Amino acid sequence: MIKKFPLRHTAVAVASLAGLISVVAIQPAAAADKANTKAAGNYVSGDFHNHTTCSDGSLSMKKLIDKSVKTFGLDWFVQADHGGSSARNCTLSEDPFEPVPSALGLTNSTTGPFPPNTYPTTGQPASTGKGPNQTWEATLPGGRTAIKGDGTAVPKAMWRWQEIKEFQYKVTEDESRARQKPIWIGVEQNTPGHEHVSTTVLQGQLPWPQAGVMGNATLQAQYEYCFDRSDTDTSRGAENQWDCSVTGTTSTDALNATSRKISGTNTAATPDLGHRKTLEGIKWMNEKAPTTSYFIPAHLERAGFYNPIGNNGFNIEHLRNFNNTAPNVAFGFESMPGHQASEQRGEYAPNRGASLANPTAGVDSVGLGTYGGTGIYAAKIGGVWDALLGEGRNWWFFASSDYHNRGAFGPDQRESNQDFQPGEYQKDYVMVRKGTNNLSAEGIINGLRSGNSFAASGDLIDRLAFVACAANPALPRAAFKTLVEKAASNAVAQNAEVRINGCATMGEKLVVAPGADVVVAIAVRDPQGTNNSPYSFPNPSLKQINITQPLNAPVLDHLDVIGGNVTGYVSPADTAKYAGREGSAAASNPSAGIKKVFNSTNWTATADGVRVMSYRIPAVKVSQYFRLRGTNLPPATPFETDASGNPLNDYDLLPFFDASKTDAVQPGKVVCAEAACPAHLRTVNGVKYSSFDVAAWADLWFYSNPIYVEVSNSVKVAGTK
Amino acid sequence: MNLSRISSSTIVLSALLTLGACGGGSSGGSGTGFDSLLVFANTFASQYTGGLSSLNTSTGLNSKVVPDLFDARYLDGGFSKADLSAALASNAQALGASPELSLFPVAGITNVTLSGCDSNGICTLNATLTNSDVDTTTVNFSTKVAIVNGQVYLYGDQSSTTSI
Repeated sequence: MIKKFPLRHTAVAVASLAGLISVVAIQPAAAADKANTKAAGNYVSGDFHNHTTCSDGSLSMKKLIDKSVKTFGLDWFVQADHGGSSARNCTLSEDPFEPVPSALGLTNSTTGPFPPNTYPTTGQPASTGKGPNQTWEATLPGGRTAIKGDGTAVPKAMWRWQEIKEFQYKVTEDESRARQKPIWIGVEQNTPGHEHVSTTVLQGQLPWPQAGVMGNATLQAQYEYCFDRSDTDTSRGAENQWDCSVTGTTSTDALNATSRKISGTNTAATPDLGHRKTLEGIKWMNEKAPTTSYFIPAHLERAGFYNPIGNNGFNIEHLRNFNNTAPNVAFGFESMPGHQASEQRGEYAPNRGASLANPTAGVDSVGLGTYGGTGIYAAKIGGVWDALLGEGRNWWFFASSDYHNRGAFGPDQRESNQDFQPGEYQKDYVMVRKGTNNLSAEGIINGLRSGNSFAASGDLIDRLAFVACAANPALPRAAFKTLVEKAASNAVAQNAEVRINGCATMGEKLVVAPGADVVVAIAVRDPQGTNNSPYSFPNPSLKQINITQPLNAPVLDHLDVIGGNVTGYVSPADTAKYAGREGSAAASNPSAGIKKVFNSTNWTATADGVRVMSYRIPAVKVSQYFRLRGTNLPPATPFETDASGNPLNDYDLLPFFDASKTDAVQPGKVVCAEAACPAHLRTVNGVKYSSFDVAAWADLWFYSNPIYVEVSNSVKVAGTK
Repeated sequence: MNLSRISSSTIVLSALLTLGACGGGSSGGSGTGFDSLLVFANTFASQYTGGLSSLNTSTGLNSKVVPDLFDARYLDGGFSKADLSAALASNAQALGASPELSLFPVAGITNVTLSGCDSNGICTLNATLTNSDVDTTTVNFSTKVAIVNGQVYLYGDQSSTTSI
């Protein structure tokens, strides 16, 4: 992977729904593929949730793609705007774009460094009424008449299905070919009955390295028309005359005779209708593009608990419903949301949406904030994610930028008090078994589906080999330990995985005899140099505990191995165990805990930033799983981590004087006392507090997906292989 | 066998100690210094690698070939010869019941040297361990072995606990 920036080395009533869920037969999967059957692969970085002016973003398609795959060097990219409609033409380039005017002092180098070291304080804002902020109606040759489907607004908004099918796709494929990277179109679905879901229907799209004539995003466009909550167009896609029926559906919800889609969503009059429609959408994906689609709930704690008469968040039963409906399509969640530099990190908060005028209008995000930038569903040990893993489900962790804008800053400035651009702060690293072939979109989706992936913020780590091996009883312990540690170290050196029979990596399961010892080996690379943070002053969170470390040069402090037992899938009919809010028995796995902590005292460090470690789990008797998390913050860092190293609520860290909710001014918790602390930080009584982007850069984490260990006479790990 | 890896001092010391260790053996073929150690090492490497490579089948797991290469006093981080036999039997049983069984990584040894033998015939075995997968990994390791009547047996670190 070529890094172009100098990194540091560079409640539903579930019982009533259960009968409606068409559960795809879950076959006990095969054990981890034998090593010699696995094609060689590498971990590649990408982002699949971000926005342009074709919804509520601030950049054109071209500029967003340029930022993602050039400035921040992502290997793959999925442009995924909201569904619904938009008046702006995101296919127009920025004004100005490249070459950038020298008057702004920006580099227009084609070889870097990216981004330039400094930007003018005015940045390079997207101008109102120029570039991609111009409307479709004003810029299409046919004007208003070229905008299809329902609508009377002036200027007329274009339905997202038309934008995708007729305009955005061509830009995407052209950019993909020009940049020789897999880049394709997805949609952040405004999900009926819920908030948002990142989706892709790749079928028909031909991003690089596919050869041939221009492909199409017709199926992605149709999915948006059929299943996006905000797409109320009834035109059936104009000349497309789409029909949203699903073959063999068990839904009792009739399609509207005109629009040929299920009308409506969760309301008092139609409780749970939206959720049922969403399940129909997953079935549709599974029917139309079973191996090239995905459905990944986004920032799923942000909008609060599920509301049967509203479009709020997701409870665990909904995640189970999605996964049961099509496990090859709905296989994970974005529990590390975007908007990491916003006033309320991830835009997660108590009483979210309230105002002085309507103080009770808000909804509490589940968990009342993020925890080290991750939602409580994944951040809380023994919580929702562990409950799902405790069933043996294929349910994986992802992160996303959800980039819209940089708040008060221009798109080319490096500060932000809202979002980070794709690849700037968070990355999903996905194993793609490409052999000797080029990286492909299909391979990336296969990688996402496989669970062989990890996510990191702030380039805390950029490589990981995580493997569990059945200990060979006929080898001396020290010899076996040395062998698997070396294998992990070799894999990290090659940005690859360990391919040894008798070992399993992320997303796989190891099947062992009762009483077998299992050795977990980990090699991780903490990249040397600096990350994308523009700040080199000491990390204010670490300064609290007398550690002086540049904010743009984080160091992995420790790594936790988290494990829990697998007790099998819960039946939808077992309502008490299947459905419940975060914190309920249904959403908990009490067996989960930190099984091992590694840090500088018990890992082997090399000069290139690689850390190698292992430990033996003796006499395994029950099926279980292991996953990893790591951070730059030691346990018991005030306001950041507890004594066990668990992340604390980020919302509580922040100074608070959101004038829309309260006129009270509360100081923050972590002071940013350095002279270089930027002016945009929250300041109370003359004291700057760590907040916005500084708070995000100060508090970095990575999460791996799990490795399952199935004991042959114990519970089957049914959801993975 | 990599002859160059045996130092002259090792040869002398080992030859002497091996004679003492093996003097009471019943094989009648007690070693006579370097040549014998070389033979013992080579023989063991062949036996051990062959035994290890058989452990991916039910037949191999049920065979005595591998356990017979372990001294009755074997103890390695609390793991005894009886534990080894039980582990192999457990894997054999599990393999019969579950074709999905992952078994465990299989490796072989090369470049075996024996040195540092004491008066009880306990020596240090140094070797190169290589797994036999599509991605090979090679590491050096050492362990204690017992030489009895010219046969090398794994002896382990004789520790009843381990941090590994």
